[in-house]
Amino acid sequence: MSEMWINMGPQHPMTHGLWNLRVRIEGEVILDVDPEMGYLHRGIEKISEDRHYNEVITLMDRTCYVAGLAWEHLYMLAAEEALHIRPPERAQYLRVLCEEFQRIASHLMWYAAFVQDIGLMSPFLYGMRDRDLILDLFQSYTGARMTYEYMRAGGVRNDLPPGFTDRARKVLDWLLPRFHEYDQLCLGSDIFHKRCDGLGKLSAEECIRHGVTGPMLRSAGRKRDLRRDRPYAVYDQLDFEVAVADGADVTGRYLVRMEEMRQSVRILYQVLDWLDRHPGPVMADQLPRWLGAPYAPVGREGYLLKRNYPKGVGFSAIEEPHGEALAYVVNEGGEHPYRVKFRSPVFANLAASRHYLVGYRVADIPPIMGSVDVCVGEVDR
Amino acid sequence: MQTDELERTLRPSLGDRITSVEAFPDTAGRVRFRREAALDVFRSVHALGFHHLSTVGGIDWVDHREVFYILWSDDTRQYVVLSTDVPASDAHVESATPVWPSANWHERETWELVDITFDHHPDLRHLLTPDGYAFHPLLRSFKLHEPEELEVKARHV
Amino acid sequence: MTTPASAPRLARSATQPESFRADGDLLMAGQPAVPFVEIEALRVKEFIPAAKEALTDLIAEQGQSKLIRPVFNWAGRNSLFPLHWGLACCAIEFAAAFGARWDAERFGVVPRSSPRQCDLMIVNGTVTWKVAHKLITLYEQMPEPKWVIAMGNCATGGGPFRTAYSVVPGVDKLVPVDVYIAGCPPRPEAMLDGILRLETLIRERKE
Repeated sequence: MSEMWINMGPQHPMTHGLWNLRVRIEGEVILDVDPEMGYLHRGIEKISEDRHYNEVITLMDRTCYVAGLAWEHLYMLAAEEALHIRPPERAQYLRVLCEEFQRIASHLMWYAAFVQDIGLMSPFLYGMRDRDLILDLFQSYTGARMTYEYMRAGGVRNDLPPGFTDRARKVLDWLLPRFHEYDQLCLGSDIFHKRCDGLGKLSAEECIRHGVTGPMLRSAGRKRDLRRDRPYAVYDQLDFEVAVADGADVTGRYLVRMEEMRQSVRILYQVLDWLDRHPGPVMADQLPRWLGAPYAPVGREGYLLKRNYPKGVGFSAIEEPHGEALAYVVNEGGEHPYRVKFRSPVFANLAASRHYLVGYRVADIPPIMGSVDVCVGEVDR
Repeated sequence: MQTDELERTLRPSLGDRITSVEAFPDTAGRVRFRREAALDVFRSVHALGFHHLSTVGGIDWVDHREVFYILWSDDTRQYVVLSTDVPASDAHVESATPVWPSANWHERETWELVDITFDHHPDLRHLLTPDGYAFHPLLRSFKLHEPEELEVKARHV
Repeated sequence: MTTPASAPRLARSATQPESFRADGDLLMAGQPAVPFVEIEALRVKEFIPAAKEALTDLIAEQGQSKLIRPVFNWAGRNSLFPLHWGLACCAIEFAAAFGARWDAERFGVVPRSSPRQCDLMIVNGTVTWKVAHKLITLYEQMPEPKWVIAMGNCATGGGPFRTAYSVVPGVDKLVPVDVYIAGCPPRPEAMLDGILRLETLIRERKE
């Protein structure tokens, strides 16, 4: 039997975005893979250098379009550190609210797409239905379904509308039993087990060697979650468990994501209670004046303010729905960041694809790559 | 691990191969090293428990370029930043792939966007930009243009 | 596409020429069905000669293109098969439109994975120069007649990435676009509206 290279992508139902998985096969067995990225490279890091600090938020929503608020949070943590701004506590709780809801929405999107890949049709409808409930909540306080532009340097744009917490609790009450339904749909199905069990194995040591993070690492039994290991925002005041599974395979990643959604619901109940009890400002006082004016024609005074504003470096790391995301913002004075660097978790998870795909069969590629939860927007940036 | 502790651990074995260990917000510190000693520094830092390489990136400071490596240790639950300066005329540094295999794609990205060559990299080719793309967009000298000019540019690739 | 076999449901010759006008025949609730089709229960061996006779009469009466075109347009616009691919953010809203809440399939819109089965390309996201020639290849692989919808600001004119070095400022630089949908990303309703507008365009198609 002769070997051959085949292209899966850029337009392929498996890819969920624009990328090309080049696979070398002999018969049905995968001998080597070589992901080809960059089809969605929009130069976000370069455009950021030409933009005002608050304008970069627009790009963050589009960097990872299934987890826009998490990326806004990531960028804001780094930019505020570079600008020496500290947001008020209520704003931090609101950001955690955003991030956890976004985690559930992102995982539901993953659930809808992944389970459809392995041949079960109805979970797509279930996942999209429940994701829309969360998007409706987002829409009620940010005004948009997917691209929010909600966070600002120094806090968030606006407070929650009246009655929001009750509506959010209703959604959470609805969601919790749904997770059980999802499990019944998938784990109760022989198709699911036959297509997922024991596939795409990558041990914890290999994960660390190749930079793999997030649910892929936790499915190998390693309890690493930046929310717990290196608490940012107000995660140190919240009570939750880090979801882990053993097996390091596709089913393990499914279990980790399901458990993460349950833990997010648990966090959200606490956050909503806190928000009910602690009204307050959502923007920091005494922001530098030029931060409020996007195009900054604020005259001589504003110019001098900018000149005198201290330089700084911002560094932040958050546990994004896909894994460990990093931002590195260099402030050299002036209204634009000098350099912005992002680390995308999916970028590293895809870079290691050779180590969890080789040896399996061609038909195993959709479940394995589905379990990685590829979001091309954040890989290519 | 504090910054001074980091310096006390690294200084005896590395000596003047590291130029400074300085405080860096939210991390154990930033270790600046000479680029000739890159592999020694990588091995020493890896031995300290920083097994996870998060990212590699480059900054163009016009007169020189900076390469930074961000690492994570599961033992101390901290990040550490390594950074080295390379002259713009001769921008190359030893690849970190022998120590951290995960550096592979990050170095490819840094090579094509910031124009820093990584010596002995196993597979240094374009990742995000098309094959044969002649520009290094994250250099400060690369200015963003109006789309019409840009089309002309892209068609000449 | 001009073979009489495209219209086998014509069982009897229609006498009024104006009944071939294409407007007012959307199959919506409360409206009469397509006026010129009278469906009868016929056996196959009766149906084929009857249809042949009806078509021959009609073609002799009105010319081939005038007869086939409305039928073809009616069939085409009610079963648009878009290419199943996702470029960027808009692809998520594209997917949401096929969820339980919007259910785009009730308009006959069914995504297909192979370009050879598609007649509609929805460009749902940012087009970069790296993917440009692949997009053109996919477009060329689609059989005629084919339509393109530029969904969202990126596909329309580059959107927030217009100044970026790697982004095509509008997919109409590469392929002809029939309908532009504004929004970043457009809501699923907007996408469905774009598809309905494309259906209007197809209805008025002459050549």
